[in-house]
Amino acid sequence: MNKLRAVILDEKMDSVIRELHEKGMVELYDLTPKLEDPEWRALVSHSTPAEYGRDVSALLIKTNRFLDLFDNVKLEDNKGGLKDILNPTLPEKKKVSFKSAEEVISYGKSILEKVEDEAMEYFNRLNELESKKNNLQQLKKYVEYLLDFDIDLKYVRDGPYTYIVVGLVPEDKLSNLKKEISNITEDYFEIIEGKPLTTEDGERKIPVIIVTLKEYIDQVGAELRKWGFEKFDLSNLEGTPKENLDKINREISNCESEINTILSKLNDISKKWYSELLSLHELLEIEKERAESYIYCGKTERTYLLEAWVPKKHANKVKEDIEKASDGYSFVEIDDPDEPEEKIPVMLDNPKSVKPFEMLTEMFAPPKYNEVDPTLLIVPGFLMFYGIMLTDAIYGLLLALTGLLLRKKLGKVSEGAYNLGYILTLAGIATVIAGILTGGYLGDFLKQFLGFDIYNTYYAVVNPLGDSLFIGESNPLFNFGNISVNNGPIAILLFSIVVGIIHLFIGLSLGFKENLEKKGFKEAFLNQGIWLFLILAIVVGLAIGMPSIIGIAVGIVMLLCMAKGYMSGGILDAGLGAMDITGFLGNVLSYARLLALCLATSGLAMAVNIMAKLLGDSVPVIGVVLAIIMLLLGHTFNFVMNGLGAFIHSLRLHYVEFFGQFYEGGGKKFNPFRAKREYTDVGN
Amino acid sequence: MVFENPLLLGAVGAGLAVGIAGLGSGIGAGIAGASGAGVIAEDPSKFGTAIVFQALPQTQGLYGFLVAILILFVFKTAPEWAMLGAGVATGLAGLSAIGQGIASSAGLGAVAEDDGIFGKAMVFSVLPETQAIYGLLVAILLLVGVFSGEGVATIAALGAGLAVGFAGLSGIGQGITAAGAIGATARNSDAMGKGLVLAVMPETFAIFGLLIAILIMLGIMF
Repeated sequence: MNKLRAVILDEKMDSVIRELHEKGMVELYDLTPKLEDPEWRALVSHSTPAEYGRDVSALLIKTNRFLDLFDNVKLEDNKGGLKDILNPTLPEKKKVSFKSAEEVISYGKSILEKVEDEAMEYFNRLNELESKKNNLQQLKKYVEYLLDFDIDLKYVRDGPYTYIVVGLVPEDKLSNLKKEISNITEDYFEIIEGKPLTTEDGERKIPVIIVTLKEYIDQVGAELRKWGFEKFDLSNLEGTPKENLDKINREISNCESEINTILSKLNDISKKWYSELLSLHELLEIEKERAESYIYCGKTERTYLLEAWVPKKHANKVKEDIEKASDGYSFVEIDDPDEPEEKIPVMLDNPKSVKPFEMLTEMFAPPKYNEVDPTLLIVPGFLMFYGIMLTDAIYGLLLALTGLLLRKKLGKVSEGAYNLGYILTLAGIATVIAGILTGGYLGDFLKQFLGFDIYNTYYAVVNPLGDSLFIGESNPLFNFGNISVNNGPIAILLFSIVVGIIHLFIGLSLGFKENLEKKGFKEAFLNQGIWLFLILAIVVGLAIGMPSIIGIAVGIVMLLCMAKGYMSGGILDAGLGAMDITGFLGNVLSYARLLALCLATSGLAMAVNIMAKLLGDSVPVIGVVLAIIMLLLGHTFNFVMNGLGAFIHSLRLHYVEFFGQFYEGGGKKFNPFRAKREYTDVGN
Repeated sequence: MVFENPLLLGAVGAGLAVGIAGLGSGIGAGIAGASGAGVIAEDPSKFGTAIVFQALPQTQGLYGFLVAILILFVFKTAPEWAMLGAGVATGLAGLSAIGQGIASSAGLGAVAEDDGIFGKAMVFSVLPETQAIYGLLVAILLLVGVFSGEGVATIAALGAGLAVGFAGLSGIGQGITAAGAIGATARNSDAMGKGLVLAVMPETFAIFGLLIAILIMLGIMF
């Protein structure tokens, strides 16, 4: 990373910002805290967002409103289904060539005006119709409750001396209500009851018409509220409830048909304008980001001061860009970082073939500034572990295909999907290789159904569940003391442990080197050196057949660990230090999961085959169909479960065992100032 | 020989393997599922995520089932005590699924808030699986006849199974730590590395169990 400092003439500032935003090679550095300093403040003042930002925001709000409106009226068949999610079509990019924010603003205004002209009256009418329809539906509900009353509704309203209300009362409260009203009105009242009914909320209610004298209106009104009376507003209605119901139904259906014509019209308009609006939205977002970027800068009377992080390899290119965009009215300086390390952003820079794996590094934490980028180191280990843990040629093929599909289809719109697809494709290939070595083709499908035992041929090297021609009872790989490596599982276990030790050794060496450069020999030796020494001692001890060397080495390492503990926290930590050796042992044994998961895949695949065969042999007639269903379901399940397991366990071996030796992470990711274009294209 | 037919004791082992591991997986998947149901109520599109997290604690049950099949159909000729020990090892270690369920449910909760944490939550949730894998490992070592001394052929094999099996219960504690670490990571993504260190601590005891089991199987003390 380099720090770029530029002083730019104010007239030229906007074209510089546009250039930087389009190229996207720098991360703007916020000068605001620095400008608090009195010394700085004397020279440079805070800058404010560019003028055009306000217009852009206003247009953006309007655009969003139209997009929302169009989204709401979209007919169902226009919305994408599952197929669209799995294979999204790329939006067509609109070619644009705007030179300034003003051009974008006037373009946006003209588009929005046109859309408003064409669509606004329909939207307004739609609103009216919808609220009318809601009112009618409410009225319909009331009228339905009153169907029992055979009276003309025009009489059910206040007269010169009478007060009449219609509504619903909870069934259990009616008698109380009657009593209270009769007390208040001294019996000058009448309540006409309808049939009890159950409302949509499941409450029992009775429709009633209450008639009393106008002088009691306030007191009766209070009583009604107290007893949960729900008043109906029936003004403007004439005729019996039954007549009214027919009329209301007619009106509702009229409303609906008009709504549908408007919707289809709006759909046509939406088809014409929707993508325009999307690209306008994007253009405005970009302008807004530009306008707001000004607040990162400092300002003098006629110039802007801009600071930014720029990756070393782009530094000179960016300098040229700025000078060109400002027609030379600028001064650009490129420096080494002047900030503490934790504030410097980190950009992972790997070759294209490794780049997708950065996802795995970042999932743990991006490296700190000047820390080694472990991405390249993850690749071989991750793929190998994945292959060993899934170990089936057919599953591997499936996985590679899944990965390819993911990359080609979903990967078009999602970088994450592209990266995952890439990783899965490679993992699938590794699995095919491992599957061929271990003779796994849907487990022991060949043997169960075709009677072909691959482990009696030279096509498979090792059998995870027993003997093979290469490694077996009659042909052990080698004997070690009273342990004989004479079958598949133990050979794979041995392999796993050896791979684990090598893996740890690489991690430890890296950690040793890092510590040696940064903290000196003592730290490096106590943290990584002793374990490197132990691994070397084990290798030498085994090679020359003297296990006592290992014993001595273990003793030395325990003593050193105790000494290390004593130095950091006294006698108690020294005791704990002696336990460090179990941690190391744990790390090594943890790699035994390679065998366990490898075996789980082939074992479960075998279990599926056995069950399918049992079904096929024992059930008459439809047995074959059942067996095929069993095979399909069982193998899909096994593939998904173990595919997932292999991925996460492979990741775990890297995060816990491997990274534990040398990698801390926790850096700030480089976040470039870059225009995000999905719907538009500036075309170079 | 305890019985005429060695497979009789093997059948007991198979029953224990699938039974106890099923118990653990059932409880674990139940805990994760309850959390999943809550998440789906908030956001139905998270159904797939819920299924994935609920699948994690089910693997222990699968291991139990696998070992049962291996005992009954594949390694029928293994020593009878080894078959029993293998069943006990896989079964008891399968109880780690309870811890994994706790971790998965925390993971699911975190992912419901923020999709970006999916990978990290997954890594934490898978930690308590180690114990089950150790159980499976010892079961396989007992069955395939790598070791042939008294450690495998006599009742000592049961001891090996018990060692790795009961030590596998540390998975419950690990699940609880992992659940806490997921919460910490959700709040501050820098907590991932340190959280992992804390979360793998309870694994120490599973490693002790595994070590003792291997020592018993080696049988150098007899």
